[in-house]
Formats: sequence, structure tokens, C-alpha cells
Amino acid sequence: MRIIGWICWRWKMGIIWKFFFCCCFIVVTLSIYGDCLSLEDCILKSYFSKNEVLTDSSFQDLLQDELSKFSCKLLPGDPNPQLTLSGLERRLIGEGSHRHLSSTIQLQVPPQSFPLQSCKLVMIERLPSGVFADPFELDHLFHHGAYAGIGVFGDTNLELPSVSSNRSAVEIHMNFEHSISSGAMSELGIRIDLPLHARYAPLHESGYSEVAFGTPDLLVSCSMEGSSGMRSCLIVPSHDSNRLRTDVVWKIPCGIMSHTNVVSVVTFATAFVSTLVIVFASVLYPKPR
Amino acid sequence: MTAKAPMNLRRLLIGSAVFRLALILYGEWQDAHMEVRYTDVDYLVFSDAASLMASGSSPYKRTTYRYSPLLAFLLLPNSVLHRSWGKFIFSASDLLVGYFIYKILKQRKVAEDLCLYSVMVWLLNPFTFTIGTRGNCEPIVCAMILWILICLMNGKIIQAAVWYGLVVHFRIYPIIYSLPIILVLNPRYIQLGNGMEASTRYNLWTAAKSMFSKERVLFGLVSGGIFFLCTGLFFHLYQWEFLNEALLYHLTRADPRHNFSVYFYHIYLQYGRQLSLVEKLISFLPQSIVQLVLISTFAQDLPFCFFLQTVAFVAFNKVITAQYFVWFFCLLPLILPWSDMKLKWEGLGCVGLWMGAQLHWLLWGYLLEFKGQNVFLQLWMASLVFLLANASVMAVFIRLQRFSPIFLQIKVSDSKSGVKSQ
Repeated sequence: MRIIGWICWRWKMGIIWKFFFCCCFIVVTLSIYGDCLSLEDCILKSYFSKNEVLTDSSFQDLLQDELSKFSCKLLPGDPNPQLTLSGLERRLIGEGSHRHLSSTIQLQVPPQSFPLQSCKLVMIERLPSGVFADPFELDHLFHHGAYAGIGVFGDTNLELPSVSSNRSAVEIHMNFEHSISSGAMSELGIRIDLPLHARYAPLHESGYSEVAFGTPDLLVSCSMEGSSGMRSCLIVPSHDSNRLRTDVVWKIPCGIMSHTNVVSVVTFATAFVSTLVIVFASVLYPKPR
Repeated sequence: MTAKAPMNLRRLLIGSAVFRLALILYGEWQDAHMEVRYTDVDYLVFSDAASLMASGSSPYKRTTYRYSPLLAFLLLPNSVLHRSWGKFIFSASDLLVGYFIYKILKQRKVAEDLCLYSVMVWLLNPFTFTIGTRGNCEPIVCAMILWILICLMNGKIIQAAVWYGLVVHFRIYPIIYSLPIILVLNPRYIQLGNGMEASTRYNLWTAAKSMFSKERVLFGLVSGGIFFLCTGLFFHLYQWEFLNEALLYHLTRADPRHNFSVYFYHIYLQYGRQLSLVEKLISFLPQSIVQLVLISTFAQDLPFCFFLQTVAFVAFNKVITAQYFVWFFCLLPLILPWSDMKLKWEGLGCVGLWMGAQLHWLLWGYLLEFKGQNVFLQLWMASLVFLLANASVMAVFIRLQRFSPIFLQIKVSDSKSGVKSQ
């Protein structure tokens, strides 16, 4: 049975989180689509307010800015709180043009108590051109469960083929339950399923177009006590690339260029034959005087 | 008409209404408890657009809302009363279509039992009762088209023109009926006021007088006026967003995604390439030729002309979705009493051919969309078969239809009657 992890969005500022540690998969829910929770707005919302089109390099630059602006260090010289991404497994589930991208994330949290509170996982999925997420579908799914939050940004036109569309991105915020255990490393496992749809791909002689997914951006967002009260901060979990299995490729059927002439000729020939059938039937119709 | 007959129509309408109510309630349950919705995605678009309108915003802020603001206005109570308000309106229109079918056939002196069977063809058609209860707005358009026919049959030209202008604003495709309506408003068949004297002399002057008769000019001016009034009003309110989404999108739509149209694969393969003038003309020609031939042959039998035109319009269109079929399903009952088609085996043969071609297409569509197999060529060939099936069915209908004009020619001694309908 699939465990669907979703992210909830909250509408009001000042998210209170608890950082739960467990060794089991947690179902999280997706909340109201379209708005971002506190963290001075979603990262993607900040990005798309300044950029029209999603590019990896400009997004990375913005992410670095956000991380330095919202550091979780108490003092400038302090080390960042340690969080380790111990495992990331990605799979594409389903067949055809409508599938789910499943991401199973394992986080390791050290036993020392954090000054951090109410942490949540933030996953940013920068979708390759060729696939899109349907914002209305995600909104419907949100209303069917309890979700933390989700937002779809960029080119969300559902109808255009990939040659005429730009990339889009999905930001997912996840709540998770925890139980504080002292003295031992805590392991947290979260699974997120994101329904995606294929756009009509550019023509290719093989008849299939391959769309490769990159590694999602995984962050942890927490609240911490600052000099002027509670504030939000961001941590990037450290990870060992060898333990991350992120290669996901979606083969999408596409038109074949060499069909063009035959298809055009036969299409119009059939249209004319059909026209002749109707015209002859009409002309031969015995209308009474 | 016997005392029992109205009771049968009443029972039929009441039974159909109860069934539709049950479907709407079931739809609410399915939407709440199952991942796959009963409600059409388009209904959610209408509802969202209505909510935006209720809050003072443009309905076109809702992406993929490509309808008249009138539809969003009609669904304003979705936000205030209940989200299913629109489904009730559409299902009520669906029942109204059934009643109008009965009214038209009775006026054309069709026997009672045949009237009721024809009404059943509409009311008991699974496609019909699911389309309204799922929240599709086409029953409203169908009801308007049939009301226009009733107005014309009763000589109410101005009323027909008002509704015609409105329905073209609402859904554009009824523009194809303009020429047959103008043709049928022949002063020999329908006259306002005292009418004109019949004359045995036929010269340029009488020809011009006949072509630009009072009835035709009035119909054209009133319907055109209503259309441009609506367009102007909503352009004033919603600017280019309205014009682009509600009007221009439909006129220029060329969807490369798979649909029943024979042109879908051609459009996909050519997508992004600028088509030459010759290529554009070639794709336009079959539709134009068929429409003109059908109009010139069958205009006087207006319901039959509408039916054939609509089937042809849908079949030769660049995009065909299943909801378009209801445009001619509502006209089919109006022509059946004059068809010599026997159920066995001509009728069943036509149904089998049309449904079979559709199912064949759906099979390949399923393999492409839900199994991810590259079957574009097979799917395209299935669309060719579907077009040929449509043309064949049309040819059978034409061959077996008894010509029955809705108006008889006015005799000179009857010039004061104004209209003599059949």
C-alpha cells in the first residue's frame, strides 16, 4: 500500500514545528495549494517573483542566498546543526502519461538537543521540461487528506507540448511527528509521492523521448530563538552521494518525423474521400418537387 | 392527443428528473470518497470562474476557462447556495430539451407514440444523462437551439434572432446554422405582417426583394446586434482576456494532443512549423464544401439540415472531444419520425459502425496514454476510420430520410396568415 507523503502549507506566519524522530515511514499531508508558509514565503515564490523562467544556475544562486540569509547558527561562528541525509531513493511509479514520482528520504538526526524547534522537510522538485504537475489535481488531493503544503510554480499550462512550454517546479513542505530519544542517533523516514503528467514530446525517430529527473533540493526548515524573538532558518542536510539513488528516466512516446509526409497526404485524402461520400449522397438525394 | 398521453410524457420527464437527481447525489458521494471524480474537470473550472466573478474578479483569471462570462454568472449560486447548483441547471436544461423535442414533433403532427419514443432517444441516452449530471454545460446550448427552432416554426422571428445571437455568443459553433435559417426565411414560406403578393414575374428586382426580405434582414440585424452587444459588453468588462479566451481561442484552436480528429497527428508532426496558405486552405476545404452542399440541399428541412451540418462539423473539425457529440444527439430525435431506417439492421448497423469506430480509437488511445506505447500511427488510422464511419452513417441517413420541409409554400389566398408551418 502506497504511503503518500504530502506537504502542508499553512496560511499564517510563525509556524510552530516539532521535530519528531522515528524509524518508520510517515504519512504527511498536503495542505492548501497555492500559498506558501512562513519562511518569509516559499523559496520558489521568491525565485519566480524575480525570474520568469526556471534555470538551474539562477535557482542555485537564489538558494545560496536564502541559506546564508536564514542560517540556523546561533552566532556567526557557530557550526551549523548537523543533519544527515542518509538515504534518498527515487522511483517512477505507473505507466503511460500519468505517473507518480516517489521519493523516499531518510534523515539522521544527532542525539544532542537542538535549540531548533518545529522543523519540517522542504523538498524542491525542479521538473525537467517534458513533464508537469497539475495544480488543480494537487489541490484536490490536498482536500482529501491532511497536508502540510505544496506549491507549483513556473509554466503550469497543462495543454502545451514541451517545445512550447517552460519548466516548472514544485515545492513541498512536510510535517513529521517525532519522539525525542536521548543518547542515540534518530532515523527519520519520509516518503513523498508527486503525481506528474507528460507533455507531448518533441519528435524523435526512435518514437520515444527520454526525460531525466535531477536530484531534488532537500532542506530542513526550523524555528529558532533569535535575538529579536522566534525566527525561521534553513539547514541543508549533509549527504554521501553514493548512498543516493536518484536516477529516474521517463520514456515518453513521441511522434516520428518520417511519418510527416505520409500522414499529411493520407489525412487530406481521407478528408476528401469523406467529403465526396457526403456530397454524392446529397446530390443523389431524391428531393420531391 | 388522448388524456393518457400527457401523463406518459409527464411520467417520462419525472422519471428522468429523479434519475438525474440520483446521479447528481451519487456524483457528490464519489467526489468525496474516491480518488477518481465523477464530476467533469470543466465543471470545476466553471465553478472557480464563478467564484472569481462573485468576488469581483475576472472569471478568466481561472486558467482554461474559455467560455462566455454568462456561464460563470449562471453558476454564481455555486458559491452561495451549493456547489452542485450548476449540475441542477444543466440537468434541468437536459429535461427541457426532452420537452422541446416533444413540442416540436407534436407541432409537426407526429403520432404520440413516435413522439415519446423520440424523446426517449434523448432522455434515456446514457451519454445525455451523464453529461449534465457531471457538470457539462452543453444541454443549455441544445435547449437554446431547439427553442430557436420552435420560435421559427411559430413565426417568432425576432425572438428566434435574439436567442440565436445569444447562443452564437455562448458557443460559436451554431454560426453554421445561420445560412440555412436565412434560406428558410424565404418569403414564399414565412412572412411577417401582411406579406407580399405572389408574383409570376421573376426579375432582378423580385429576386433582390426576396433575398433581402424583411424577415431575413430582421433576423440578421437582431441576431448580429445581440451577438455584438454581448461581445462589446464583455470586452468592456474583461478586455482582451475575454476576447482571447472565449472567442479567438476557439477559432484558432489546433490541439496537437490526441483526440478523435483526423488532423491531430498531422498537427502534432507540423507543430511549430508555419503552414503555407495552400496547406491552410486544404484543411479548410472539406468542411466548407460539405457544409455548403448540405445547406443547399436540405435547408428547407431545417432540423435534418441542422443534424447533418452538426455531424459534419464535428467530424471534420480539427479537434473533436466527446462532449461535442451531444450537439447532434439533441437533433437526432427530431429527424427519426421521417426516417425510413429500420432498426434491424440499418439502425443497429449505423450505431454499431459509429460506436465500433469510436471504441477502436479509444483502445489505441488507452494504449498510448495509459500504457505509454508508441501507437501514434495506429491511433491516427483509427481516427481516419472514425471519419469514414461518420461519413458513411451520414450517407445512410441521407439515403433513408424523407424530405420534410418545416414550412409549406404560402398560397396567395393565405397571404394574411403570415406563416404556414408543416
